[in-house]
Amino acid sequence: KGRRNQRGKNRGCVLTEIHLNVTDLDLGYETKEELIFRYCSGSCDAAETTYDKILKNLTKKKKLVTDKVRQACCRPTAFDDDLSFLDDNLVYHILKKHSAKRCGCV
Amino acid sequence: EPVLTKGNNCLDAAKACNLNDTCKRFRSAYITPCTSSTSNEICNKRKCHKALRLFFDKVPPKHSYGMLFCSCRDVACTERRRQTIVPVCSYEDREKPNCLNLQEICKKNYICRSRLADFFTNCQPESRSVSSCLKENYADCLLAYSGLIGTVMTPNYIDSNSLSVAPWCDCSNSGNDREECLKFLNFFQDNICLKNAIQAFGNGTDVNVW
Repeated sequence: KGRRNQRGKNRGCVLTEIHLNVTDLDLGYETKEELIFRYCSGSCDAAETTYDKILKNLTKKKKLVTDKVRQACCRPTAFDDDLSFLDDNLVYHILKKHSAKRCGCV
Repeated sequence: EPVLTKGNNCLDAAKACNLNDTCKRFRSAYITPCTSSTSNEICNKRKCHKALRLFFDKVPPKHSYGMLFCSCRDVACTERRRQTIVPVCSYEDREKPNCLNLQEICKKNYICRSRLADFFTNCQPESRSVSSCLKENYADCLLAYSGLIGTVMTPNYIDSNSLSVAPWCDCSNSGNDREECLKFLNFFQDNICLKNAIQAFGNGTDVNVW
């Protein structure tokens, strides 16, 4: 299941979700609670802005000194609501900005 | 040794809550103020209470009652159930006031006064009725009880062995009003209507209401 990027191009960059145990996150918590983790994945190959287009063209022509110019990446543009859970020692924890809500090529 | 090791109904309810966007959001919305310590206090009790009221107002009973009224067979479960409302912030206080004094404070507040009245109406025990409730309606009793959470009369389970509940008060220093005070306190602690209502929800036996 995933949601399409609304902006037309870069249809490959989508929100995907996976059902996990909190312990699967490897953040050091001991708990039996679970969560839905949403992440952004997919290609951002179709250049989205003129800036990206220029970078691509200049890279092709080898006009840039630095060989590694960053292309647009499929990343969260907004995060999901906070997640709270009770650990095995009866202590509450809250995770912030842990899961994506919307994705975009940025 | 961790207290919570095996699975239980209260854990299942917590899992279900975090898989539901509404429940997850309003749960975090009260866990945050109820666990954030301020400069000289454990938490901001007023903000914690407000967020708890919002949780029970906005989250469908399937999820909110699922965590508050889950049925338990071991301490891991009952301890988790007791922690649902974050009692260290929302419930406990440095001193235990007299229950009649607490009732007076409650009556000065519009929300508390009306919700306490609802509780006394809808959880009135009646030994001759099948349900043990005068109103014969468990859902209304549970709604009235959960409505008190987030007021000065916030109740919670008092131990891990039973379904006995009480607000944070006792009947010491009652003077001549001792009998009246005990009557008030026992309406929480020893209420067969409320206990049956909680049990029926936990066991999923009150089918016509949900």
